[in-house]
Amino acid sequence: MDGRSLFRVTIPPLAVGPGGRLTLNLRSNSSRARYLSKGRRLPWPVLPILFVLILGLGVVSPSAIGRSGKAPRKASRVVEPVGPPVKAYGSKDAPITMEVFTDYQCPSCRNLYENTLRAMINDYVASGKVYLVHHDFPLPMHKYSYEAARWANAAARVGEFANVEAALYDNQDAWGADGNIAKYVSAAMSAAEFKRVEKLMEPCQGPISASDYAPGSARMVNVAQTDRGCPFDAYINADRAIGMRVPVQATPTYVITYKGQHLPPASGFVSWPILKQFFDSLLSQ
Amino acid sequence: MNALNSLLTWLALHGYWFIFAGLIAAFCVRDARKRRTLVRIMLVFGGILIGSIFLAAAYGKLKPLAGFPWSMRSVRTSILLFSMQVESYQILSPAASSLLAHVLPVFELVLGLWLVSGIWRRFSALLASLVFLGFMAAIAYAYFHGLHIECNCGVGPNEDVGPGALLRDGLKFLLPSLIVMWGSFWVRRAPSVTSAAPLPAATPAGASQ
Repeated sequence: MDGRSLFRVTIPPLAVGPGGRLTLNLRSNSSRARYLSKGRRLPWPVLPILFVLILGLGVVSPSAIGRSGKAPRKASRVVEPVGPPVKAYGSKDAPITMEVFTDYQCPSCRNLYENTLRAMINDYVASGKVYLVHHDFPLPMHKYSYEAARWANAAARVGEFANVEAALYDNQDAWGADGNIAKYVSAAMSAAEFKRVEKLMEPCQGPISASDYAPGSARMVNVAQTDRGCPFDAYINADRAIGMRVPVQATPTYVITYKGQHLPPASGFVSWPILKQFFDSLLSQ
Repeated sequence: MNALNSLLTWLALHGYWFIFAGLIAAFCVRDARKRRTLVRIMLVFGGILIGSIFLAAAYGKLKPLAGFPWSMRSVRTSILLFSMQVESYQILSPAASSLLAHVLPVFELVLGLWLVSGIWRRFSALLASLVFLGFMAAIAYAYFHGLHIECNCGVGPNEDVGPGALLRDGLKFLLPSLIVMWGSFWVRRAPSVTSAAPLPAATPAGASQ
C-alpha cells in the first residue's frame, strides 16, 4: 500500500479542508458527492463552538493583550528607560564623531557650545555628517558643575538632554551664582517631563561638594563606589574615567574620530568656521 | 622620512648643548685666530641646529595625520588642524588664524633651510630669534589669560602652555638662536686674523691688572 492509497482511505473528505480537497482524487470528490447526496448536511451546531473557541484564543493570544481592557492602564504608567542616559546628537553612522568633554560651569565650554556646537548641531549634525557625543567632566573648582551634570543626565533619561544642555549654558551665570539649577531645567521642558526628572533626581540628595570629586582623592573613589544613591553619579564618573584616559587636562577638550581613526585630542575654543573647514577637509579625504 | 624627522627632532631638542659648549670653548680659547675659527665652526653647527628646530616644526605641522597617506589633501587637513590650534590661543580672529596656519609652516620650512644653508646667517639667526620671541609671547599671553591649552609647538612632546613651555622655548630655542646671531655678527665685525689684536675676552686673566 503506497502513501497515496493510504491517504485516500484514512482522511474523510470534509475533515480535510480545501487543501486536502485539492490533493484528493476523483474518488474523494465522488465520496463527498455521495455524502452530500445522502441528504446529510454540515454539522452546524459545531460552528458556534468553533466560534467561541476562536474568540477565546483571540482574547488569550499575546497580540490581543494590547487591545484588551487592562492593557491601556498598564501602558499609561510611565516606565523610565533603563541604561546610560543618551547625551549625544545625530547618527552614530556619521563619518565624523566628535566627543566633547565639558563642564557646565566652565566659561570656555559655554563659549564653545554657544558659538560652535550649536551651529554644528543645526548644520553638520542635522545633515548626518557629524555625531556629537557629550561627556561630563565636572571640575572641582566649580561649585555646582557636578550638580548640573546630574540634572543633565536626568534630563537625558527622559529625552530632554538637548534642551537642558542649552538652558544650562544659556543661564550659566545665573545658576552658577545661586546654584538654583532646577529653575532653569524646569523652564526647558514641560511640567510633566520635569516631574519625571524631579522623580529621577530624588535619590540625589543635596549638592556634592567640590572636595568629594577632586581627581585622585579618596573621597572621589568613595563617591564612585557608593554613588550616594544617585543613579547618575555612576555615569558622570564613567565619563570622567574616559576623560582621564584621553587625557583631559582642561575643559573643553574634544576628540575627533574620522572613520574610526582617532585624531589627537585638542582643548580650548575653536570657532565654527574653522572647525567646519576642518570637517570639510576630512570629508573630502 | 620618519628617520629624518627623528634626527631633526633630536637635534632640535638637544642641539642647544652643542651651542652652549661651543660658546664656553670660544671663551676659553685665548688665541684670537683659533677662537675665530672655533666660532666659525660653532656657527656652522649652530645654524644647522637652529634650522633643524624650524624644519622639525614645519614637518610636525605639515605631516599627514596618523592613518592618512601623504597627499595635498592630507597636508591641507593637517594645516586646518593647526589653524584650530592657532585659534585656541584666542589672539587672532578665525580668518587671521587660518591665514597664519597656512603661512607659518611654509615660513618655518624656508627659514629652516636658510639657517642650514648659512647664507647671511646673521640675518637668518636674527629672524629666528624674533620668531622665537613671538612664540614665547603667544604662550605667555595664553598662560596669563588663564587658557588651559596645549602649546602645539610642533617639536617634541606636546605640553600645556605655561612656565614649562616658556622655559623650554627660552632655554632650548631662543638662547641658542641669540648665541648664533651674536656669533654671526661678531665674526663679521671681528678684526681679520692677520692684524688681529687680542680680544678683551681673550686676554689672560689678570693681564690688565
